[in-house]
Parts: sequence; C-alpha cells; structure tokens
Amino acid sequence: MSHYLITLLSAMTEASSLFVAAAGLTLVFGAMRIINIAHGSFYMYGAFLVTTVAGGVIGGERFWLALLIAPLAVAVLGIITELTVLRRVYRSEHLVQLVATYALFLIFGDVALRLWGSQARSVAAPSPLGGSIAIGSGQFPVYDIFAMGVAVLIGLGLWVLLQHTALGWRIRGAVEDREMLASSGTNVALLSTAVFAIGAFLAGLAGAISAPLQSTAPGLDASIIVAAFIVAVIGGLGSVAGAAIGAIVIGLFNTAGVLWAPNWEPAFIYLAMIIVLAVRPWGLLGTPER
Amino acid sequence: MHYRTRRTLQMPASADRTQPAATAAPSPPAIAREPESALRGLARRVGVIFGVPAAIVIILVILPSVLSPLPLLDVQSAVGLALFACATNLLVGYGGLVSFGQGAFYGTGAYVIALAWLHLHMSFWISFICAPFAGAAMAVAIGLVALRTRRLYFALLTLAFSQLVFVIAQQQVSFTGGANGVFGPMLPSFLINPDNAYYFTLGVAVLALLALYKITRSPFGMTLKAIRENPERAEALGVNVFRQQLLAFVFAGALCALAGGLFVVYDQSANPNLLSWTESGYPIFMAVIGGQFSFLGPALGALIYEQSRDVVLAQFSDSQLVFGLLLLLIVLAAPDGVLGRLTRGFALLARRWRAARPGRPGGPGPESAPRDAAHETAESER
Amino acid sequence: MTAGALLQISGLTRQFGGFAAVQDVDVSVWPATIHSVIGPNGAGKTTFFRLLTGILRPSRGTVTFDGHDITGARPHVISRRGLAQSFQITNVFPRLTALESVQIAILARRRRSLDFASLHQRRVTAEASGLLKEVGLHQVADAQAQTLSHGDQRILEVTLALATSPRLLLLDEPTAGMSPFETERMVSLVTRLAKEHGLTVLLSEHDMDVVFGISDEITVLHRGRVVTHGPPEQVEADKDVIEVYLGGEE
Repeated sequence: MSHYLITLLSAMTEASSLFVAAAGLTLVFGAMRIINIAHGSFYMYGAFLVTTVAGGVIGGERFWLALLIAPLAVAVLGIITELTVLRRVYRSEHLVQLVATYALFLIFGDVALRLWGSQARSVAAPSPLGGSIAIGSGQFPVYDIFAMGVAVLIGLGLWVLLQHTALGWRIRGAVEDREMLASSGTNVALLSTAVFAIGAFLAGLAGAISAPLQSTAPGLDASIIVAAFIVAVIGGLGSVAGAAIGAIVIGLFNTAGVLWAPNWEPAFIYLAMIIVLAVRPWGLLGTPER
Repeated sequence: MHYRTRRTLQMPASADRTQPAATAAPSPPAIAREPESALRGLARRVGVIFGVPAAIVIILVILPSVLSPLPLLDVQSAVGLALFACATNLLVGYGGLVSFGQGAFYGTGAYVIALAWLHLHMSFWISFICAPFAGAAMAVAIGLVALRTRRLYFALLTLAFSQLVFVIAQQQVSFTGGANGVFGPMLPSFLINPDNAYYFTLGVAVLALLALYKITRSPFGMTLKAIRENPERAEALGVNVFRQQLLAFVFAGALCALAGGLFVVYDQSANPNLLSWTESGYPIFMAVIGGQFSFLGPALGALIYEQSRDVVLAQFSDSQLVFGLLLLLIVLAAPDGVLGRLTRGFALLARRWRAARPGRPGGPGPESAPRDAAHETAESER
Repeated sequence: MTAGALLQISGLTRQFGGFAAVQDVDVSVWPATIHSVIGPNGAGKTTFFRLLTGILRPSRGTVTFDGHDITGARPHVISRRGLAQSFQITNVFPRLTALESVQIAILARRRRSLDFASLHQRRVTAEASGLLKEVGLHQVADAQAQTLSHGDQRILEVTLALATSPRLLLLDEPTAGMSPFETERMVSLVTRLAKEHGLTVLLSEHDMDVVFGISDEITVLHRGRVVTHGPPEQVEADKDVIEVYLGGEE
C-alpha cells in the first residue's frame, strides 16, 4: 500500500517540476503567440546556476541564495533576449519565430557547454530538507515534498496574478485578443517584455528547484523543452490551469509506464499526447481559436 | 476606374512578399508594345520557367566527370535532402501545415528497404518501389488523427507520432536492429559504382520533383494554398478541407519515404535517428532558410545547410554556436528565406531596368533576363 | 408553410445557456428578390445568419432551402446546395491574387479541387476572368487580395460567393465601412445581380438608405424576435419598428 502511495507521490514530484516549467511556456505562448524553444535553455541555466552557487557546499545554506539568484538571473537573460531578438520577429511567420528561438536554443546550449563543461553536475538538497520521512513501510524524500509545495505556491501565485492584478488582467486580455488590448491603451511592447520575463523566471525557477532532484547535464534543455511543450499542449495552450492538469497527467502516465513497461518508458509521454489530442484536439482546457 | 499601384507598397511587414513584377509596375499605358507572336510567347514561357532549373540539372549531370568521389557523394546526399525538404514543403509552405514528424516517413522509407533485405532477402529494386507506398500508408494512419488538429497542436502531434515510431524502432531490437539500426550490403551491384548511384539518385529526385511541381500548379495545389490562407473560407466555398489536407499529407509522406530510400543508396543503412524529431526538423529549417513560399526554396536551403554544416564543422570547434548564429542571422535578415530575398532583389532590379528604358517595345529579351525560373515560380506561388 | 419560397425559416431558435439570441423566427424569402434583415445592434442578425450557413446549429426550428431541409447541416454542404455567404468581416485569401481566389471558388463548385492535373484550367481561368470583369475587378486580377482597398476586398468577398453559382446569396453587412462611392458600387452590383441574373439576395444592413432603396421585402429583428416584416413602405410606417429604433441602441 505504502509502495503505491510513494509511487504516486513520485509522480506528483515529477508533475510539479513539469508544471512550473510548462506554466511559463504556456503563458508566453498565450499572451504573445510565440513558440519559445529557448525556454528549455532557461530551465537548464536555472539548474546550472544553482549547481554553481550552491554546489559542493554541504549543508547548503547557499542553496537558498541560489534559489533567489538563479531565476532572477535567467529573467534578466530573458529580458535581454526579448529586447534584442524577439522584437524583430514578432511580425514574422510563426515558423520563422520558431526557427529563431531554435537558433537561440543552439547558441545558449553551446555557451552553457563553455561555461559549465560537459560533465554532469549535482547538488545536494539543503540540510533542513535533506532527509526523508517514513510513509508506511517506505521512505520519501523531504525535498520532493518541498518541490511539490513550491509548485503549489507558484500555481496559487499565478492564479492570484492573473485573476486579481492589473498586470494579470492585461495578460489575460492579451491572451484573448491582442489587437483589442493595444487599442485600449496598453503598452503592448512593455507587456510583452514583462510576460516574457515572467516566463523566463518560471523556467529558471523550475530548473533551480529541480537541481537537487536530478543531475544537471548538457541535453537537459532538449529533454525538458519537449516535455514542457507536451504538458502545455495537453493542457491547452495559454491555460495555466491546463498546464497543471497536463503535468499531473504526464506525471501519472510516466510513472505508470516505468512500473508496467519500463522498456517503453520514453514513448509514454508521446502516447499520452496522442490520446488526449485525439479526443480533444485543442487540449484539455484549450480554446479552438488557437 | 483607375487603381493606383502605390498600394502595393503599403503591405504589412509580416506579409511582405515579392510582388509579381507584372503588377508591381503599372502596365505601360502610353508605350506601344509589339504583339508577341504565339511561338515567341511560348518559347519565352518555357525558357523562363525551365531555364534555371534546367541549367542546374545540366550542371548536376556533368559533375561526376569533374568532381572526385567524395565531394560527389556530398552532392548526392544534398540532392536526396533536397527532395526531402521540398516534399516537406508541400505541407509547410503550400499547405501551412508545419509537420514535425516527416522523419517518420523518411526513416520508414529507409527501413522498408533495409528490413526487406535483412529479413526477406528481397531485391533492392522491388523494395525501393515499395518504400513510397509504405510512407503513404503510414501517412494515412497518422494523418487521420493528426489532421483533426491545427497549428502548434498539429506540429507537436506529428512530432509525437514520429517519436513513437522512433521508440518502437529502438525497442524492437530483433526486428529492427535496435539503436544501431541495420547496415550491410543491401545495394545491388549496379549501385555500388558511385557514378551509377549518383545518377540514380539524381534521376529519381528530378522525376519526383517534376511530379511535385505539377501538383503544386494544379487545382489541388491552388486549393491547398487557399486552405492555408483561410481554412474557414475555403470550407464555406465547398472545399472539403480535411480530405484535401489528408491527400497532401499522404503525398508528402510518400515522397519523404522515397527520399529515405535515396538515403539507403547513399549510406547502405537505416537507423532510428532518421525517425526522430531532430531529423524532422531539418527539412523545416531548410525550407525556412531557402524560402518556404517558392518551389525550389527548400532545395536551396538543403544545399546551404549541407555546405555550411561542412564548413562550420571543419573550421570551428564551437560548431553549434556558429551554426546557431548563422541560422539566427539568416532568419532575421531574410524572413522569407534566401530565395525570397533573392527574388525580391531581382524584382527590384527588373523594375529599375524597365524604368530606365522608356520607349523600348515590349516582348522577350532583356526584361526577362534578370528573372530565373525560381523567381518565376515564386511570383505566382503565393 | 408557404409554397414557392426559396428559403423558408420556421421557428428558428438558438439558445446560449439561458439567453436566446434568436427566438421563434419565421422568414420567407422569395426567388429573385432582395430581402433585408434589419434591427439594432444585438438584435440577433449575425447569429441568425450563422444559423443559416451552418456555422451554428439551431436549438429549435427548421431551415428549408429549395425544398431541402438544411437545418444544422455543415457549411460546405449548405454551400453545395446553392446557398452562398459573404462574410461581415472581410474574409478573403490574403496572399492569393483576386484571380486565384475566384478560381478556387469555381474549382470547388465544379468539384475539381482535388485535380492533380490542370486539364480544365483554361476554362476555369476564363470563367474567373469573366466574373472579375463583371464585378469590375479585372484590373486588379493579379494583385494579392490583402493589397486591395477595403471596397475592392468586399467586392471580392461577394465575388467569391458568386463564383459558387448560388441560388441565394447571403450578405452580412455588405456596405460596412465603405465610403459613399464604394457603397454605390456595391449597391448597383447587388441590384444588378438580383434583377438581371435572377439571384435571390438576403442581406443584413445598418445603412437605411440602402435597405429602403433596394429591398423588395424587409424583416425587422429585435432581441432575437421578428417584430414585423413586409415591403419597405409597410415597414417604414409601422409603429413598432419606429419604437424599436428609437428605444433601442443603434
């Protein structure tokens, strides 16, 4: 019994990580209609920055510092990216935007190789969160619970932001109808930069939180971007709540896959998406216009 | 009613396509034009449309006598990739359907030949013919599900299908050879000779591209473009959008599988990476780099990609960085692809040329000289 | 049930949750006439048109066209039956030329959209050119649709619908956003189509000069219901109509 509970909790941990990563992606796409492949790079940078700031130090007080610095640094990188590159492709075809962000993905990936090398890095969880708690006859890491908690907080924070703040209304307005928003006096350019910064922040934060959960190595950007996209699409592009549901679905699917057919594990995420989109072509909470 | 042609310069930036030179300048009202004889007109049309591609084909045919085997092999690979890219562009450029899963068909084409050789000892020629049919069959299966979605959902769904096939190919080790794939002497002796292999590849690719070209100019191709522009409107006019897109998807799948067969001629192998989404990304990038709104744009993109990849790999240790920077540069400077920028440059030249020669009677000659066939096809391609 | 009506609409209703956008609407449209639907904003005109063209399915009621029941049928099926629509928001193919756009419509009508070979192209091109000449767009035949003026785009819009050789043409606010000159062009085109070619036209409009100038019959909608209908003189004098327009938002 506790075995299943622990497995379920592991699925939720994975879902938490995916949710925070996908939330930024879906927000940016919803408000700006940009498909940002470099979002995976932002995630990886968040993780690498944590390993740099907090790695190798046992006890990990620096971890909290890293958790603060990494997402902010990534957000700054996001702002720079938006101002220099993205502004030039807003009026291009979606496909051109995709190729542009893919080019950024390549560039960021290579720079990461130069900055952090090709070896995998890991960082230990900070000491208050380092142990594990007993659940029935099994053990479950405390840090995983922390990660889940962070995801829930992020979810709530985003909900508050979108529903109860002026910025949130504007973001939702942009998701609904950009032209209308522009004509109502909102500075769409500034809004775009803000949204993109938030998206990058969330990606960096997701990476930072995940650093103690997995080893950080080159190639993380590619694997996370595919997973984040699938989660965002399953949930319905533009919907943060959808990203949450999508993350849970994928977390469960993957965990089930590892249990029952470990050989086919890489395929499960794709199978999940095919099934969901076959039934609901616009994602679970998506709207048909997109 | 007099329509001012200055209007053509007020297009929004995102839709800044080349204007057909014929409408970019007002039809000369005051200058008398000598009527073209029908024969001259025909000769001019044929010359313009087939001029540059014919020249390219002639050059490609001569190459084996000029190049040594290794660079020739590169050209052979580029020709196969050009077919892959142009076939994908039927969906991406003409149909507005960005499919991130064409690798599934490319790899299937290669695997059909490799596995038929491995398990059934089938003759290469037979399995080569079967490859496009296998691609078409797979496209029917995938298309029936994927084409119910649009835009990014469609792109990711096709990606998912191709990844699924990729995982299957990796898992079924006894059948597919697993991660290593299949390799061995699967080519007939005729194709072992590098010149023969080259000519075979060239011949197949040219024929396939001719067929593809005819299709893009047919009612089918035109309607496909209309669906790209405005699917609801097309449906309201009585077009069965799903059927049209499915047919395009099947045809593209068949040709991508054919390109996969040509890969076997090049490499005598099949491996799972051909099926992955990273492989699927290549023809899309080639289409964007070369120009997705012209027929041969993706072929140019394939050439640029192959050549620059070789140069970058040879010269730079940080190849990924350089490649990324190059890609970014091209995309920012030429959102319509290289061919798009070239054709706009030519159209500008043609306009200036014509403007500088008032009083000259019309007809064939220097006016049509700056145009090339790719330009011609691009003009009427929107 | 009125015999002889080309388009017969009975009890048409469409609910959105508790709100009825269109309620118990009865309209009869006679062949070769121009029938206008008017009403203040929010009266349900656009919903009504969407119900007719298959974009929305009715909650209740029937739509009979030329004797066939087309209630709830899909748009391309309705189009094939001979009921063509021109959209309120100009809805053309931006990067196709005017000529190509009309060719697409003709090909669709002739069921030739799937042709891989261009055997009949010459005939189709000739027909498309002819149609463009008739509506006055032949000089911009090779211009991309998105580069045309607003008035030209609306005319192209109507031409696309015409190219399907419809028996009934649905025009949703055809003169919206047009200058007096462009309005004049559209009006003379529509009247010519009805009078010379026997085309039946059902249109919704805000421009009262146009409506009362060219209509054979007018239906007035208010809050989803039919207030009154009849020839222009009758509607003009109707007290309820005056109240609707003075009391309601415009």
